[in-house]
Amino acid sequence: MGGRLVKAEPKEHAHEALAERSIDLSVDLGRGLMLENPILVASGTFGFGVEYGEVVDIQRLGAIFSKGTTLRPRIGNVTPRVTETPGGMLNSIGLQNPGVDAVIERYAAQWARWRVPVIVNVAGESVADYVEVVSRLDGVPGVAGIELNISCPNVGKGGLQFAIDADAAASVTAAVRRATDLPLLVKLSPNVADVRPIAQAIADAGADALTAVNTLSGIAIAPSRQRPLLGNVYGGVSGPAIKPIALRIVYEVAQVVHVPVIAIGGVTELGDVLDFLAAGAVAVQAGTAIFADPALPVRLVDELEAECRARGLDSYRSLIGTALPTRAGPPSARGAEYRP
Amino acid sequence: MRLLGAELVESREILPGQWIQAFHAPHLANGSRAGQFVHVRTGDRSGLVLRRPYSINTADRASGTVTIHFRTIGRGTEWLTRLRPGDALDVLGPLGRPFEVDPRATHLLLVAGGLGMAGVRMLADEAIRDGRQVTLLFGASSASEVYPSNLLPDEVEYVVATDDGSLGHHGYVTELIAAYEAWADQSFACGPAPMLAALARLAATRRNRMGVAKLGRKRGAGRADPLGSPMARRKAFLQVSMEQNMGCAVGACLGCVVMGASGTPQRVCREGPVFAAEELDWEAGW
Repeated sequence: MGGRLVKAEPKEHAHEALAERSIDLSVDLGRGLMLENPILVASGTFGFGVEYGEVVDIQRLGAIFSKGTTLRPRIGNVTPRVTETPGGMLNSIGLQNPGVDAVIERYAAQWARWRVPVIVNVAGESVADYVEVVSRLDGVPGVAGIELNISCPNVGKGGLQFAIDADAAASVTAAVRRATDLPLLVKLSPNVADVRPIAQAIADAGADALTAVNTLSGIAIAPSRQRPLLGNVYGGVSGPAIKPIALRIVYEVAQVVHVPVIAIGGVTELGDVLDFLAAGAVAVQAGTAIFADPALPVRLVDELEAECRARGLDSYRSLIGTALPTRAGPPSARGAEYRP
Repeated sequence: MRLLGAELVESREILPGQWIQAFHAPHLANGSRAGQFVHVRTGDRSGLVLRRPYSINTADRASGTVTIHFRTIGRGTEWLTRLRPGDALDVLGPLGRPFEVDPRATHLLLVAGGLGMAGVRMLADEAIRDGRQVTLLFGASSASEVYPSNLLPDEVEYVVATDDGSLGHHGYVTELIAAYEAWADQSFACGPAPMLAALARLAATRRNRMGVAKLGRKRGAGRADPLGSPMARRKAFLQVSMEQNMGCAVGACLGCVVMGASGTPQRVCREGPVFAAEELDWEAGW
């Protein structure tokens, strides 16, 4: 049949046709990186993408964010490295990874064959580290983008916390920006008094998108009460316990930057996805919840699509930013008042 | 490895605060080997975000059931004890790598400390089924913590040590090794880290102390099996089942590592939970 000739549908079928029409869940992160849907899996919770392959259909995810990758192999922190906390967990892995060259050698060829894009999370101790890792990833088939971890709270020794200083964050972002044309995301730390100037500096330095937020610094005490529980003393808190904080930061950042914001922090069900979208995020990363519910991310894709259909939406985009202040203008300077 | 529903068949408190629960889960009963584990999601969702790992204590293919053995130590395990027959549990498994028994080994020495019994219990069944002789050395703090002998196969020689001397040998279970290590072709252990470290030290010096021949090819014949491979483990005198705080249980989060002899952390959930003793760095302190 000729493709051009389209038969007019009888009117009584129009509604049915609408119900069957696919919902546009695609996310444009810039530089040609189009995600099929806004449900992503967070760095550190999904390994290098291969680990959960037996249990879930990872190809249906919007994107996979890899384990933090450094220039040289890292053995990570002493154990215990994880523990459950009220409504969440603490982790202190310490960036254990085989190093960027081994990551490329072991995984990139697989990633290149996948439908789901893999964004490599990159960590380092100096600007030169970041630039070198990203340069080695640049141009490797299978590497769809870079997410800079400039805020890992678990690497104390010598690790400069770029994420707590706007100038430092901007300089590492700019240096990496010069080293690659890959889509560049930068992950924000919640462990700061006001994240907005830092987010702005990173966006101005050339980041294509921001991820908000990394874990919150915390500790737990060993059952003996004689020492802290984690081998590294400090860990990062994640899970539903941090969702209100992550929501607040997404809400603040979305109002001051013009690049997409990807939300992360306690996503456990569709309601959390909708909350983060309403707060201004274009996509969300699931993380801690995957450990208990490996099928969650794929289920969220289906549920988000069903939600859009139920609301009669063609695209999920109209769900974004609905809770943001309607009046355009500079963010309130009074924002600091509610902070303890 | 699969996500599956397991229906509670039976639940009983075998010792004060220690429970054995049987679940109908044919995929696990048929597809598991001794040493593997399951990762269980509790139904208490009020702030519990992690699954709990349990050794597969026994597996019965005929009835399609598996059991787990645990102590009530928190809200997750307390929730489990409130399950009633017919209730379903969300289980991920079977996970991890099993014990590797040398096909030529006829005398197996199993060593368990406390809840470590759950780690080696199924191996006793498998070994008896395969016609091997099994001696099980068990250590506990006192008689009230000693695993009931009627829950073990009759064929198993069961030797008990208690810290306070209230039952069996007065002292640590590791003090019983000397009487059995010449008899044993292979040994398999699960329990507290200091116990496993003591056993690893004994195993490392065993050949020199006892002058025993090594099972397998003569030195230099053929290539050595790579450390950690099933073949290499099969030739190891001591295999241990390790415990560690666990996150994902599929190898993604790197939470549950123990230090390997080569200086690379090994994931308890993937490379383990069973390791040959020589694969691990027992002095690393983690």
